[in-house]
Amino acid sequence: MSRIIVVTSGKGGVGKTTVTANLGSAIAAMGRSVALVDADFGLRNLDLLLGLENRIVYTAIDVIAGDCRLEQALVRDKRQKHLSLLPAAQNRNKEAVTPAQMEQIISKLSPNYDYIFVDCPAGIELGFRNAIAAVDEAIIVTTPEVAAVRDADRVIGLLEAEGIQNIRLIVNRLRAEMIELNKMMGVEDVLELLGIPLLGIVPDDERVIVATNRGEPLILSQETSLPAMAFSNIARRLEGEKVPLLDLMAAQNNIINRIRRWFNS
Amino acid sequence: MSEQESKDIDLLPELTKNSLSTAKNDLEKTSSGEEQENAVSTEAKEQETEAESSETLLLLDNYLPISLERQAQQLWLTLPPQEEVNDLDWQQVWLQLKYKINASKQELFPAESVYLQAQDRLLDIRQLQAISESLAELDLNLTSVATKRRQTAVAAATVGYAVQQQVSITPAASQAANVAKEDTSLQPPLYLQTTIRSGVEVRHSGTVIVLGDLNPGGTIIAAKDIFIWGRLRGVAHAGSSGDRQARIMALEMQPGIQLRIADVVATVPSPTSVVHHQPEIVYLTAQGIGIAKAIDFAKNHRFVEAKGHWIEIVNLFNQR
Repeated sequence: MSRIIVVTSGKGGVGKTTVTANLGSAIAAMGRSVALVDADFGLRNLDLLLGLENRIVYTAIDVIAGDCRLEQALVRDKRQKHLSLLPAAQNRNKEAVTPAQMEQIISKLSPNYDYIFVDCPAGIELGFRNAIAAVDEAIIVTTPEVAAVRDADRVIGLLEAEGIQNIRLIVNRLRAEMIELNKMMGVEDVLELLGIPLLGIVPDDERVIVATNRGEPLILSQETSLPAMAFSNIARRLEGEKVPLLDLMAAQNNIINRIRRWFNS
Repeated sequence: MSEQESKDIDLLPELTKNSLSTAKNDLEKTSSGEEQENAVSTEAKEQETEAESSETLLLLDNYLPISLERQAQQLWLTLPPQEEVNDLDWQQVWLQLKYKINASKQELFPAESVYLQAQDRLLDIRQLQAISESLAELDLNLTSVATKRRQTAVAAATVGYAVQQQVSITPAASQAANVAKEDTSLQPPLYLQTTIRSGVEVRHSGTVIVLGDLNPGGTIIAAKDIFIWGRLRGVAHAGSSGDRQARIMALEMQPGIQLRIADVVATVPSPTSVVHHQPEIVYLTAQGIGIAKAIDFAKNHRFVEAKGHWIEIVNLFNQR
């Protein structure tokens, strides 16, 4: 049996798909078999981020319709042998699938993988209900912004009502220098409001965008970057290891900032 | 403070938007006892805005919540009637139900069987099974269904529940429940051990006690008092059916949030100085909504029925 985890946020554009792609790659790199399920029917992106767009033949809709077997629709990543993607259909919308069908697909996937990550669409409508239909764990992705945190709070309430107890938080796109200047919500503020355990913090980095555009998860690139380290740490925490948080403020601890702090205090 | 008492409430508009004094923090710095209570400044708005807000508040009250009550060894689960909540679809009913069961576990246990009052709500087999499954997760057993709809009765009988089909006149049992709903004071306090998150709305015709936070975007509407053992950051409406004696208490109130008591609305002002962390209580004064330290409220304040607001009992000892 596998761990079935939904990656969700409520608000769009906070980095659900980026987190799914990188976290999936990070766990696959640890030798675990991972299936990524794109539940964003009609607005699929996960294949782009993984660079698998051109290898898609069948989609989840074809599996549901019985046009192909589940194994045929699964796209195996050539760079990472432990990672597979079940793509969503681009030519349909979210009403094309029901929660029961989603549950059926995931229960078929379940015996063959250690982890199944479901990339949830934004919003709390049918697409969201499809994505959470079969999951037993949830990762909430939020950015340190009031609107994102508010939507995350709403989604946590909905997940709790659905009986999903294991809900953890990733604070994405953290900009240490903005928090330093009190221009952004701090991680403590976010945690205090949402009241769920923290799984990790991912710093904002333009290399994430570059990697996304290139279709190559940051985890796979040769040079080490802070976000890539953050994702592998999150993967290790999911595996149950105790990994301390990265010191994202370290870069901010230069002489100018110290003087600025000294003046502010 | 004594000026405040002598003012005639007839001078006050029925619905005023008040803002609590920003001077409260400054006041607290002074040590004299008579300034324990915080001053209140009232800004009466024009008539049009008043009418508007009173209408929205009234709309909120035309609502029958889903209720789960304990009666001896049985739990009574009552769904809202179909025609009174047109916009409330099954998804919402279902979520509210789950929420309620999860949040009030202590109160409800132990109980052996659950008696579902479906009223005139149309339930199919799938929905009945969903209710039953959710109850089963909590070791509760759905045994009987009372309904006014034939289809619901048929569905319930098919699944194998004891069915009680009600004719237009409700039997004694549900009549008693209706009476309890009309007389709001009869509802026992609702105790919720959970954080009220964004999008969640709790309505209860009685006092609501929350062990947890009320988050922004969340709402509590109670016919009587609201006590929050946590942070108050959402919308709290005490005395929703017009009880001017109702109070709102929280361990911490976030500046800028909206508070409502009976038909009066106010916002907590942004503090001028450092936020002080101590429990506060909000209640109706002659000037509108006032705020005070919760710790002294019970001994320093008295509700005057004739005037319809609370007054501060002036402590002579402190006046020397």
